[in-house]
Amino acid sequence: MKSRRATAVAALLALGAALAVVAGAYATTDRAAAPTAQSGSASALIKCGKTRTIGFMAPVTGPAASIGTQQVHWAQYYVSTYNKTHKTKLKLQTEDTQLGAPTGTAEALKGAQALAGSPNVLGVVGPAGSNEIVGVTKSLKDAGLAWVSGSSTRTELTTDGTRTGYMFRTVPPDAIQGPTAANYIIKTLKYKRVYIIDDQETYSTGLADKVQQVLRAAGVTVERDGVSQQQSDFSSLIAKISRDTQLVYIPWQLPPKGQAFGNQMKAAGKGNIKLMGADGLFDSSFATVGSHVYDTNFPLNPKSKIITGFRKQHGGDGEYFGAPTFAATQVVATATDKACKNGIATRAEVRAAIRSTRIPAALSVIGVALRFNRNGDLSTAKKFGLYKSNGNVFVPIPG
Amino acid sequence: MNWSLFFDLTVSGLTLGSLYALIALGYSMVYGILKLLNFAHGDVYMIGAFIGWYVLHALGGPLNPTFSGGAVLFLMFVISMLGCGVLGVAIERFAYRPLRNAPRIAPLISALGVSIFLQNSALLVFGASFRDYNTFSLIGVKTYHIGDLFFSVPQLLAVLTAIGLMVALTIFVARSRLGKAMRSTSFDREAASMMGIDVDRVIAVTFFIGSALAGAAGVMFGLVFGQIYHYMGFIAGLKGFTAAVIGGIGSIPGAMAGGLIVGLAESYATGYLPQGSTFQNLYVFALLILVILIRPSGLFGRAAIQKV
Repeated sequence: MKSRRATAVAALLALGAALAVVAGAYATTDRAAAPTAQSGSASALIKCGKTRTIGFMAPVTGPAASIGTQQVHWAQYYVSTYNKTHKTKLKLQTEDTQLGAPTGTAEALKGAQALAGSPNVLGVVGPAGSNEIVGVTKSLKDAGLAWVSGSSTRTELTTDGTRTGYMFRTVPPDAIQGPTAANYIIKTLKYKRVYIIDDQETYSTGLADKVQQVLRAAGVTVERDGVSQQQSDFSSLIAKISRDTQLVYIPWQLPPKGQAFGNQMKAAGKGNIKLMGADGLFDSSFATVGSHVYDTNFPLNPKSKIITGFRKQHGGDGEYFGAPTFAATQVVATATDKACKNGIATRAEVRAAIRSTRIPAALSVIGVALRFNRNGDLSTAKKFGLYKSNGNVFVPIPG
Repeated sequence: MNWSLFFDLTVSGLTLGSLYALIALGYSMVYGILKLLNFAHGDVYMIGAFIGWYVLHALGGPLNPTFSGGAVLFLMFVISMLGCGVLGVAIERFAYRPLRNAPRIAPLISALGVSIFLQNSALLVFGASFRDYNTFSLIGVKTYHIGDLFFSVPQLLAVLTAIGLMVALTIFVARSRLGKAMRSTSFDREAASMMGIDVDRVIAVTFFIGSALAGAAGVMFGLVFGQIYHYMGFIAGLKGFTAAVIGGIGSIPGAMAGGLIVGLAESYATGYLPQGSTFQNLYVFALLILVILIRPSGLFGRAAIQKV
């Protein structure tokens, strides 16, 4: 009996060792193969044709669908405007990332792999979330694809060197957004007791850290907490927020969650405490919580021709969160045109063309010229806008 | 001692605990009769929440309800409970009954399959977006307080509805003929059958009642916390199951007590323990392990007077 057990244990160990060896060999093979795949995809010649395909990643469905839909509308608006004025045509190959869904970034990864394997895609617009960017980096880079996000603001995405030359964005980073929010709390609202709750995702924790750092440096009493965005019951967390708190800062990325939190605050008799979100919550669903809600978002000029044209097509609604996605689509389309001048192009050529983008402020929806620095950030965007809810939508705070 | 915080956490814990108790009852009743862990139960709760939402919107929505707020709420509860009851009976008929004499692992796997089927069906039918009950437009946002004890109408409604349903269930199981039949079937299914009890009918009724309670919990969740989505049944189902095990699975009073204990534990953990809101699930499941280690049959376990 003993020897039989010993034999079984030995067999299991041997099996384990064999599996480890196979796994190791597989990993080695995979790593070795990666550069070849990358260079192959990046340098493969693609016939541009009359209709060019742009990959587009956004949360079309899922918890962040309300902001994703805005991005879809703005990207489609650019495509329709372009197609009216150009002989060549554009089309979007859309991949739904379901940002904030319980499956994490799996859907974004699947979308990135689909775009990477699609022979006609020369560049990508999106994805929306900073955590999604982290998840899709390897797939897109290995395929030689550049991507331009219209909403991911985590500072380190462009400064850690991992995505240099591949990732670009048409929004200012949190290094600008965080201090904008914090300085407004300190200098204009003059609050001394602030509660910060992050949503435990890459985007949110980075922004919360930045705001906390600036507030504490100014002597503001800051309490910090975190909550999963898979959660809908915030009542216990709300119970911890003392009634003399002046403002709760929630840099989350799912507007319905911000709305639920705001409503539960009211239900707990804490509706008098001000709320402030960040660009991820810049949506009417969060604004409807009440006129005590603030937010930060990209500085846009609602009177620009592009925005008025969009509003006319969309029943007067500006859907401002999506506007930088118009700029992102514009960047990729312009670079594709440049790379396709002789009828064929490579993804590497499109990357290079994006890097050298020069779109003047007059043609830019975000009010500044579109030019990128070495990291892939806009070299022209230096500030974020502040907004306050009027009970239904966010309106800019002058100054 | 910060009494204000303590009261807030207690109200929150009792509200949450009431929901868990209703879900736990379904687990407990089915386990008591079939010795089956019905893992699809959390998803029935999710379907209940969606039925409530659709009823609300069919009746004009929260902003322009066709009837008074109270009548709309009543219809939301009744239709959701009926819908979930019928769904529970259908699940039993098609997924569990054919496996009644199979090895115990077979219906367990079937239960997991039904759970995934319901989740994905909900994703397909309802989409992945959140649905908002907008309770405040329907029944107002007013908060009441007695000293430092603050509570809202939806919270009060949830706790009172749960208590009402649990009392009704207890009376039904203790005093009605069908309740006696349920207890007999739970005690010895074969003997009950030989004594002329229609066991299939009793099991179907058990599924109907358990699922109807889950439907009520789903509507309560929407009313109290505002938003529902297709994946909400997973973690709530796990918590309900935890409550049932802590209370003593198979015991009705155990399920009620277990639900309240889990709700309060979750709330106090969030309020008092380090990184409580981040790790609240860790604390709840640690409590489960602790209870199982000390009392493997749960707090009310075999000592329970009533057992379905």
